[in-house]
Amino acid sequence: MSGLKSVNHKADLLLEAAESGHVEEVSAMETVAGCVTTFDPGWEVDPFGGVASLCQPMEADLYGCSDPCWWPAQVPDTMNTYPNWQDGKPSAQHDWRELNPVYPNTNAVFPKK
Amino acid sequence: MHWRVWSLISGGVAAVAVLLGTVGAAHAAMMPPAAARAGLAVVQAHCSACHRETAPGHFARISEERKSPEGWAMTIFRMENVHGVRLTQKQLRTILRYLSDVQGLAPSETRAGRFALERRPNHPILKLPYNLPVMCGRCHSLARVALTRQPASEWRKLINFHVGQFPFLEYQDGSRDIRWWKIASTQLPAKLAKLFPLHSAAWRQWRNRPRADLAGVWIVHGDMPGRGDYYGTALIRRRSWDRYRARYVLHYANGAAFNGSSDAIIYTGFQWRGTGTLGGKPVHEVYFAAANGSRIRGRWFLAGHSEIGGDWDAARTTGAPKVMAVIPSALEVGTRQRLILVGRGLRGGVDLGPGTKARILVRRPYGLILSVRVNAHAAPGYRTVRVGGVRSRDLLAVYRRVDHLEVEPAFAIARLGGGTLAPVDAQFQAIGYTNVLGAHGRVSAVRLGAMPVTWSVAPFNAEAAKRGDVRFAGTLRQDGLFVPAEGGPDSKRQFSADNTGDLYVVATRRTGKTAVVAKAHLIVTVQRWIKPPIY
Repeated sequence: MSGLKSVNHKADLLLEAAESGHVEEVSAMETVAGCVTTFDPGWEVDPFGGVASLCQPMEADLYGCSDPCWWPAQVPDTMNTYPNWQDGKPSAQHDWRELNPVYPNTNAVFPKK
Repeated sequence: MHWRVWSLISGGVAAVAVLLGTVGAAHAAMMPPAAARAGLAVVQAHCSACHRETAPGHFARISEERKSPEGWAMTIFRMENVHGVRLTQKQLRTILRYLSDVQGLAPSETRAGRFALERRPNHPILKLPYNLPVMCGRCHSLARVALTRQPASEWRKLINFHVGQFPFLEYQDGSRDIRWWKIASTQLPAKLAKLFPLHSAAWRQWRNRPRADLAGVWIVHGDMPGRGDYYGTALIRRRSWDRYRARYVLHYANGAAFNGSSDAIIYTGFQWRGTGTLGGKPVHEVYFAAANGSRIRGRWFLAGHSEIGGDWDAARTTGAPKVMAVIPSALEVGTRQRLILVGRGLRGGVDLGPGTKARILVRRPYGLILSVRVNAHAAPGYRTVRVGGVRSRDLLAVYRRVDHLEVEPAFAIARLGGGTLAPVDAQFQAIGYTNVLGAHGRVSAVRLGAMPVTWSVAPFNAEAAKRGDVRFAGTLRQDGLFVPAEGGPDSKRQFSADNTGDLYVVATRRTGKTAVVAKAHLIVTVQRWIKPPIY
């Protein structure tokens, strides 16, 4: 690790974890939790039926999931279906509270109040 | 024109339409002519530019499908969101109304997917044959599939739509390791059309059947997990051919008021969708009326928190004498308790079997209120409830001790909330059982109903303990309701993880020095932003 320089906060944490003797834990998380197309951490539940190996925090890669339509049942895809979902919310980490649920007519079958 | 006369005539029109091979042209007995004409006009005005009207009332693609009201709402939403259709709320509701009746589902065709329409939380996905759980069940509960009827050609187009709209689905785990496209495009359409065909005898019969009038006085009972049983009466008035207004005079088991009211639309002649209040809180209702209009069953839920709600079972006050429910459903030996027999036509004395003495305190429209004494030596087990000549089994049990508990649901998912999304809570209840020695020395467990317990949470495994999930994921209240923490990166957790958790939910019932314990598995997970009416 001595030849590598961390360039963001998460990398700092990984470096600290490695230096404090938690290399195996970090390796395990990298193997399973990398939220890229070659792995499937799961959205609700990880491959082991828990949550420890989910992509965490989810917000760090939320837009990486919504851009390519990776979780079409959970996260609105901006590639085809909801192209404006992220508009005005450039940072998922800071703007996640402003992201709107889709399906405004969820209750259209019921009479209006 | 009298409703039944009109229904018979329109039924004849529908039969002719079927002979001509059309679905959409058949307005069926579901709608009066004026409403059908109005619905058809809006479909012609807003849908026929793309969906050509190939015969009167028959539109390309549209007339090749039948769905639930929620299914049509999702289709209309897709037309608006993806294809740019612009509708007012009134137009949307008119189309929804029209298509749900003209191209809806028969009662038997909704049965498998009702759990989804009722928005029951923590329900497993449907068990469907072939490879449907892998092909469709990775994203869907499969209720969406089971609540759709269309020919193979339309199922094929739906699959094509999925690949075009959500192209990454082929690369997901579960897709990429099989020949997904080959299976989906060559095998699945015919299989789906066989399972869920456009034309069915059930629908042909149902759409020509006159609508039952649901107006009248009804006896109601139900169960709200976390709060318990309730009972009382519903007065339902008819406002128009498809609209009703209801007033509820209900009570919890302890007699406290749980009143409410509702305005409801009836779709397809039997599907009640209501908006109202219960116990002072805004609710929605998803109920299903029996074909002859003698019973209404389903689930209501809090507006904005569909995971919180209760079962609903209503029967008319007229009909054969019957005990519908006993509240509470179990009596401990050596006690005197208030007991409600919910039912109709309950005349004569009450007998709950040896070792019990029941006294009628008052007769109500929904049944009888009793004072019951159970002596210390009464035999445990199910009792036959006798009221005059009416007998009911398995509605009431007597117990000496609670031998074991089960937490329901055994597995639940809660979701973090915050900002625009409300959290999704998880409601648990502890069901008590007592062991009863039966014939030939066989021991059977008798279900006693929800029991008061002490609730706690614990880490599900070592990883959850290490992550501190108990501390971060949320709070379990003493009524069994788990309320998740707020979402978002939490700087107090390793890697600023979200407040997810992998937990045991533990119910403990102490009697003297002994304790009975049961556990359930709770996953507290991240938000989802796609919240359709049918998952």
